[in-house]
Amino acid sequence: MTQAETVLSVEGLFAQTASGPRLLGSSCARCKSAYFPRSESCHNPDCSDPEMQDAQFGPYGRLWSVTTQGYQPPAPVITQEPYSPYAVGFIDLDDQPLRVVSRLRTDSPDEVKVGCRVKLVLAPLGLDDEGREVVSWQFEPMENDE
Amino acid sequence: MGEVAVLGLGMHPWGKFPEKPLNDICRVAVEAALADANIRWRDIEAVAAASSRFSGGKGWGLNGNDIVEDMGSTGLPVYNMSAGCAAGANAFSVGYTMVKSGVHDVVLVVGGEKMPKGFIQTSGLEDPTDPEYLRQRCVGLPGPGFWALLTKQRMAQHGTTEEDLAAVCVKAHEIGTHNENARFRQLFTLEDVLNSNMVNDPLRLYEICPVSDGAAAIVICSEEYARRKTSHPIFVASTAVATARFDDGLPRGLACVPGTEGAHHSEARIAVAKALEGAGIGPKELDLVELQDNTVYYELAFPEEWGMCEPGESESLLHAGETRPNGRMPINPSGGFLSFGEATTAQGIFQICEVGWQLRGECGPRQVPGAQIGMAQSIGLGGNGTAVVLKR
Ligand SMILES: [Zn+2]
Repeated sequence: MTQAETVLSVEGLFAQTASGPRLLGSSCARCKSAYFPRSESCHNPDCSDPEMQDAQFGPYGRLWSVTTQGYQPPAPVITQEPYSPYAVGFIDLDDQPLRVVSRLRTDSPDEVKVGCRVKLVLAPLGLDDEGREVVSWQFEPMENDE
Repeated sequence: MGEVAVLGLGMHPWGKFPEKPLNDICRVAVEAALADANIRWRDIEAVAAASSRFSGGKGWGLNGNDIVEDMGSTGLPVYNMSAGCAAGANAFSVGYTMVKSGVHDVVLVVGGEKMPKGFIQTSGLEDPTDPEYLRQRCVGLPGPGFWALLTKQRMAQHGTTEEDLAAVCVKAHEIGTHNENARFRQLFTLEDVLNSNMVNDPLRLYEICPVSDGAAAIVICSEEYARRKTSHPIFVASTAVATARFDDGLPRGLACVPGTEGAHHSEARIAVAKALEGAGIGPKELDLVELQDNTVYYELAFPEEWGMCEPGESESLLHAGETRPNGRMPINPSGGFLSFGEATTAQGIFQICEVGWQLRGECGPRQVPGAQIGMAQSIGLGGNGTAVVLKR
């Protein structure tokens, strides 16, 4: 059996860097607003003189909220076959003013609690309709939760 | 300037009507509103219509043009307003502004919708610059999941329980059974709701509003015109349209700044605050509110975010019966979206119809006793928010 070919969910949104996986976005040097994905403009109406820079986000954060996706959603959502419910959360990143939407990497989606510590990983969501493994950013609940 | 009156209210009942063309559904609502106003189609000077991306409108959201062609092409101006699920009330606000400013004397506001099956997919685009596409492709978070995340956060913050959530649904259907325009008119017990399938933890199937077909229409006119037609007109106290703030902490795409707003849906909070200010009343002075309950969560969160009650107080008000039509803070005396299902762009107009009927005292078993002033509120894709206050 051959290894499944791997593709990224979308190019340019995340990368494996020397210090680990990171989300690729922008930050405004003036008002410190953070953007994911990248933004050419600062959306903060109170920012007088925006100066946008590329920025990397992650890897640590805290779960602001979480749900389990009980039914298999239609395309373009990538899921495991046969379908098994997965957890999705809003994550507030440590030290970065960003609340991110993410799938959670866990074998027990119903056990994940609001407020738990999470860490960014790059991991497969499932296979696309050409049988390729689709890798995206995900957050993983941390063992030493505090 | 005189007041703007709500002269005629009309609806086609909500349901699923696969065999019935959208024009026929809309015509029922329009003819009912005209008859209620005691005027003819030729008396309408302009149409403000909700644009749909799901049905009619020649694929361009020209839903008002469809109605004019069907009712009679008199050459009148048509304004097609697009604001996602807030389009109906957005159209009402535009119609109101035109009558208020004296541009037109009599305006028809209308929305009609036939929805595709399943939960709403908020974008049909496969475009990596479209945030909704990115959210589905890279994460997988359909609409009910978004509502579930808000609900779970509320549970963590205020201790809301699954029983509290189910109780909102039970209350909605108890009222909805009395509304002949509602689609789901059966009673549910707490157990029925808690035994329905978990869709997105903690939200269950009966706690999420499905999609429906339906249409609603309203004739609005100048005070002078109304006085010639009726001795008891209902008036528009205010309308407001808003969009979301940058800092409300609600990720509508992949991410946002964590937020300082307090209200997660800032577009709703801003529209409601503006409408209440325009009406010259505080949030606790409303006799009733029709709010957008796509899911039970909103009936608990919104009244708190708008200052109608204290944060975390909604559950106790619900259990004490205070949100029923005869309570201190009546919410959704129509039975709400949970009893109707959502016919997206028609929804905002149905809500205003309900407020109008309540103020006239025509609501029978679901009547809010002595209602003098009431509000309808909607939100839509793109961070659109609306609020409309009617008064006797
Ligand atoms: Zn800035």
